[in-house]
Amino acid sequence: MQGHLHPITHLIREANAIFYKMGFTLENGPLIESEHYNFDVLNVPKDHPARDMQDTFFIQGEKGMVLRTHTTSAHLHYLEEQKKKGIPPPYRGVAMGKVFRNEATDMTHEAEFFQIDGFAIGEDISLAQLRGTLEHFFSELMQGKTEIRFRPSFFPFVEPGLEVDMRVTGALAPEKLRDRWIEIMGAGMLHPNVIKNYGLDPEKYRGFAFGGGLDRLAMLRWGIDDIRLIHSADLRFINQF
Amino acid sequence: MKISRNWLQSFFDAELPSAEKLAEALTFHAFEIEGVEQTGNDAVLEVKITPNRGHDCLSHRGIAKELSAILNVPLARDSLSAHQPLTPDSNTLSVTIENRELCPAYAAAVIKGVSVGSSPDWLKERLESIGQRSINNVVDATNYVMFELGQPLHAFDMGKMANKDGMYEIVVRNAKKGEKLIALDGKSYELSPEHLCIVDAVADAPIGIAGIKGGKPAEINQDTHDIIIESANFNAVAIRKSAGSLKLRTDASVRFEHELAPGLTAYGLFAAVELITKVAGGTLEGFFDIYAEPEEHMITLFASDTNKVLGTNLTVPEIEDILKRFGFSYQREGERFTMKVPFERLDLRIKEDLIEEIGRIAGFDKVPATELGVFSKKPEINDSFSRSENIRQELVSKGYSEVITSVFSKKGEQAVQNKVDSVKSFLRTTLLEGLTESYEKNLHNKELLGIEEVKLFEIGVVWGKDSEETLIGTISEKEKAAEMPLEKWDSPEPTHFDILSKDFDISKYYKPFSVYPFALRDIALFVPEETTSEEILVIIKKEAGELLVRSTLFDEFKKEGKISYAYHLVFQSMGKTLSDEEVNKIMEKISVSLGAKGWQVR
Repeated sequence: MQGHLHPITHLIREANAIFYKMGFTLENGPLIESEHYNFDVLNVPKDHPARDMQDTFFIQGEKGMVLRTHTTSAHLHYLEEQKKKGIPPPYRGVAMGKVFRNEATDMTHEAEFFQIDGFAIGEDISLAQLRGTLEHFFSELMQGKTEIRFRPSFFPFVEPGLEVDMRVTGALAPEKLRDRWIEIMGAGMLHPNVIKNYGLDPEKYRGFAFGGGLDRLAMLRWGIDDIRLIHSADLRFINQF
Repeated sequence: MKISRNWLQSFFDAELPSAEKLAEALTFHAFEIEGVEQTGNDAVLEVKITPNRGHDCLSHRGIAKELSAILNVPLARDSLSAHQPLTPDSNTLSVTIENRELCPAYAAAVIKGVSVGSSPDWLKERLESIGQRSINNVVDATNYVMFELGQPLHAFDMGKMANKDGMYEIVVRNAKKGEKLIALDGKSYELSPEHLCIVDAVADAPIGIAGIKGGKPAEINQDTHDIIIESANFNAVAIRKSAGSLKLRTDASVRFEHELAPGLTAYGLFAAVELITKVAGGTLEGFFDIYAEPEEHMITLFASDTNKVLGTNLTVPEIEDILKRFGFSYQREGERFTMKVPFERLDLRIKEDLIEEIGRIAGFDKVPATELGVFSKKPEINDSFSRSENIRQELVSKGYSEVITSVFSKKGEQAVQNKVDSVKSFLRTTLLEGLTESYEKNLHNKELLGIEEVKLFEIGVVWGKDSEETLIGTISEKEKAAEMPLEKWDSPEPTHFDILSKDFDISKYYKPFSVYPFALRDIALFVPEETTSEEILVIIKKEAGELLVRSTLFDEFKKEGKISYAYHLVFQSMGKTLSDEEVNKIMEKISVSLGAKGWQVR
């Protein structure tokens, strides 16, 4: 008798397959991360209210070390490897995995959850390409024609900063999602400070970045009503996938 | 921040659209709207101001300015458009700032002979519309100006302060160790040198916690006649830390924490003096103004850069129109714009900031969806992912199901600080603890799940003192729990993992399961040899109804021209714990029905 894969594994597997075909390399990054990778290079100043947006777990006795609050922190690790190998831009990368926020858990919040973050850097990257990339990704993932809509927002590492909504149409689309606008990600054009912190010339290179919760995607995709199920290790849940 | 539509309307001659339309305009061009509430003849929008705009948009003026640009409707009034001189100088008040870094600007005014009483109805209504309580005309006026312009203000009762030969002196300094202040909320706060305070210098006594809360010693009340109005600028980080350590977040501290333009102090003070003398009477004696020369910021932007970043085809006149709608002062040469940043817009420093302004006012719906294009290089294979995926395939085919358990544990080599739920603050050193717990949790659900054996695996991260490592852990009834590093698992050469999940079926949904216990019954029967199990199950299912959640054939043998089938039947309700009687009744019905077919239930 076959066992069952965790739904998050199914999502990561699908997402990786879609992004690989678009030229994105799957990146690795540690879960214990320095504030440098998690915040500083991403243009999040110390003592700034923006750091409040992500209540952080600090590691005891290890000054400046945190449990990563997003998979965005993996990008610089990937770029450093590329640099070591002497590979110049363009770059495309995607990171997926566990991230952490120091908050109480309830039906929609978990202290440990999963994220997907991606970026593309090159000489001619635009917001229009971000929209095209996300439309393609979500259309494949949701197996239905997916439209992407942007709303203004703020994340320190992007400028312009955007909130991303999607709307899935078509007969195959999950019923609960069909024809509705749903908030799904944060995104934007990489801030010139971030390009600079990545060791690249912001006058020459631009990039886009996007990121969002995989738990939320799983919940939308399969109609899961409680995020805690994803972390429950309960086969009554897992064996449905 | 709560924003009143009527209050916004006071900035425009033209009638504003409905609150819903305003909410939509803000949502797609400025800020997320968390709610719209109709209150009497007003409507209140809950606007989620992003952290980069706290310095100008935690105010009705800021939101009005946004709407003016979005809707292309001019502002009828703008208190920040013309600088008003703070004259004359006061002859009774002087102010000293010990550390200008912590307090870049401090403007104060002395008003004599005010009559403290209740506020006029319009003022009360304004404040109450956004959930503020009316206190008295002087305090209400200072609060009104804060919610109008975003500059926090404070009024001190001068009569309760000490003077030397008729001269009053305020010092802005760090608190001394152990210094105490009873604040306006009636609570006593013990201050320390990390807290900045406003001090009655003649008495050497604190009268306020800078940027956070005023003190009882100089509280405005019915007996107040002469007042000092403070309109100051405090260092954002210092206020943020103080408010945090005192656990005292106020409307004032939130604004300072977002960093305000020092230039705002004069505008705020001027507006407050005007309003107080209008609603509480009194005469302006004079000002004491310590100000910071505003820095001038210019941004140069080419229209073509805007289109390159956004991927749009905006024309030069379209871009120019947006700059005009904001009321920015700029010069244009061909497609090059040189723009002077308004003093309150601390968020506009580089061309990308301005591109965002153009993009959001034009509307991000103008951004088309274009192909990223073929990548010039081949993406790399991720070794550890490929390895993990191969292992997953292998384990799943052997009947293991994948769990993901918490990284937090009661013991470990490393721990996190300040964990909200304060239990399990260590990081796990092994997967086996979580796996064992999961195994035990699932064990009693075997029949419900229809599995012969609970077999679990996890691929997860563990931590040593200085290490972080990915392990594979397995547990089952027949084998002891075991784990090993991902790299040690015998696995084929890494390749791009392109096996799509068969189970990623888009038409499949998660089905909620019951939280109530299930009941297990077995039934076995002898039937003629040609009878199939399906025929029997049809009858069992029909009689059992929806409470039968699983039926498994577990035994089958032939004997003397007959065949024996034996089933596990699992009963469970979504709404309650089933009693034995209820289940027995169903079993009875099933037996009767099967018996009626001439089959022999054993």
